[in-house]
Amino acid sequence: MRRHLIELIAFSTYAELRAEAARSYLGLIWWVLEPAMMMAAFWLVFDVILHSGGPDYIPFLLIGLTVWQWMKSCITHGGYAIWSNLPMVRQVALPPLVFALIAMLADTVKFLIIFALLVAILWMLGYPPNAQYWALPILFLAIFLAAAGAGFVVAALVPLVPDLRFVIEQVLMVVMFLSGVVFPLTQVPESLQWLMALNPVAVVMDDARAILMHGQLPNWVGLGKIYAISIVLCTVGVLFVQRLAPRFPKLAS
Amino acid sequence: MGEILVELEHVGVAFQAQRSIGGGRFWALEDVSLQLRRGERLGVIGRNGAGKSTLLRVLAGILVPDRGRVRRARVSCQLMSLSLGFVPYLSGRDNAVLSGLLLGLRRRDIVARLPAIREFSELGDFFEQPIATYSAGMSMRLAFAVAMQVEPDVLLIDEVLAVGDAEFQAKSGAALRQRMGDGQTVVLVSHDEKQIAERCDRVLWIEHGRSVLEGGRDEVFAAYHRAQHPAPEAA
Repeated sequence: MRRHLIELIAFSTYAELRAEAARSYLGLIWWVLEPAMMMAAFWLVFDVILHSGGPDYIPFLLIGLTVWQWMKSCITHGGYAIWSNLPMVRQVALPPLVFALIAMLADTVKFLIIFALLVAILWMLGYPPNAQYWALPILFLAIFLAAAGAGFVVAALVPLVPDLRFVIEQVLMVVMFLSGVVFPLTQVPESLQWLMALNPVAVVMDDARAILMHGQLPNWVGLGKIYAISIVLCTVGVLFVQRLAPRFPKLAS
Repeated sequence: MGEILVELEHVGVAFQAQRSIGGGRFWALEDVSLQLRRGERLGVIGRNGAGKSTLLRVLAGILVPDRGRVRRARVSCQLMSLSLGFVPYLSGRDNAVLSGLLLGLRRRDIVARLPAIREFSELGDFFEQPIATYSAGMSMRLAFAVAMQVEPDVLLIDEVLAVGDAEFQAKSGAALRQRMGDGQTVVLVSHDEKQIAERCDRVLWIEHGRSVLEGGRDEVFAAYHRAQHPAPEAA
């Protein structure tokens, strides 16, 4: 049973990526072109026009957006997966988490491709790969757990209240601006520093830039806290989905 | 008589009438009881809206009853769904694997049967093309060929009998008949009495979500007909 589910998740992830590549004229190229266009837009606004970037702005922005796009797509695609697969949920007895995981894994594969490209670009910009890269998998796992946890919670709720989708996009935009994704948070008041230390997005942004730009290892205590928060979030999300699972096959999409 | 594989006791399933706050519920199944034994071919009859398809989804484990009890031996119950999970941009081959996995087959089993699926569906080289390029008939042939591969302990069929043109209908009908023989436990839902009469040995009659009668085919059909055609009513 369990092996069968793993096979199903693996093949569906492949099928999802394959279908996505086949759906548009440029196919795979869009996986890179789309984030590149967004990065160019932010660079234009914050660096060229507003001059608010500072000397390291381009690598700062590239790393921030690459990691954020991965988190955001896991939360939205994974979060909407059960809802968008309701016709299938009505026809086959599968744990609904399967649908969320497939979407998240497909986004993770896309992230890894973009990340490989990011490493190459950073190298060209004068930030060659360094010895601290070994810490990246540990950081990536924390990022995935945080995004998956949030995604599971969303996945449990959206089938019941599809209206939430309109709220989630806005919430995510606020989170992006509050987490130092596109511009550094240099003016956070002292009294709110503790809150930022518990914001998984802000912490992983700092850690990713520390490794990739400065060759510094993450602050392990800080990252440990993010692991704890993310694991709690994942547990809550999984329990939520399981608790609501009997209601999903009865819902109209 | 074989062992009991699935047993339903006074099962009811309620649906939310509409997606709004405080929307009412309606009971698609009110009170259905049945026993399914190994090797049995059980037909479910009843008018449209009697709850036949809901019952099948309870047996498949998709719907959890809101009242009553389901007891299931350690067996797999699979609804035979056509085109389950088909993705237009993928090839016939990839869709066959995907659909097979969704229908509960292991990857190696479905891969081993790909030549048979290709052969049965008569797709030839189109098997490697995206199914978006298929005609409706080709798509149905592939869907049927894949669905025929499922091998659960209990096969659940909801009106998917013959598909395609006349020639393929004969072929798919024959394949299904063979599939339902060989000691396979089957539950078949249909509003077509002939299908049930031909293929089942026991029959459950449900009406307005309640089981009216369960028993041997001839006995249930006789009662069903008496109820359907009493003295003709003035419309």
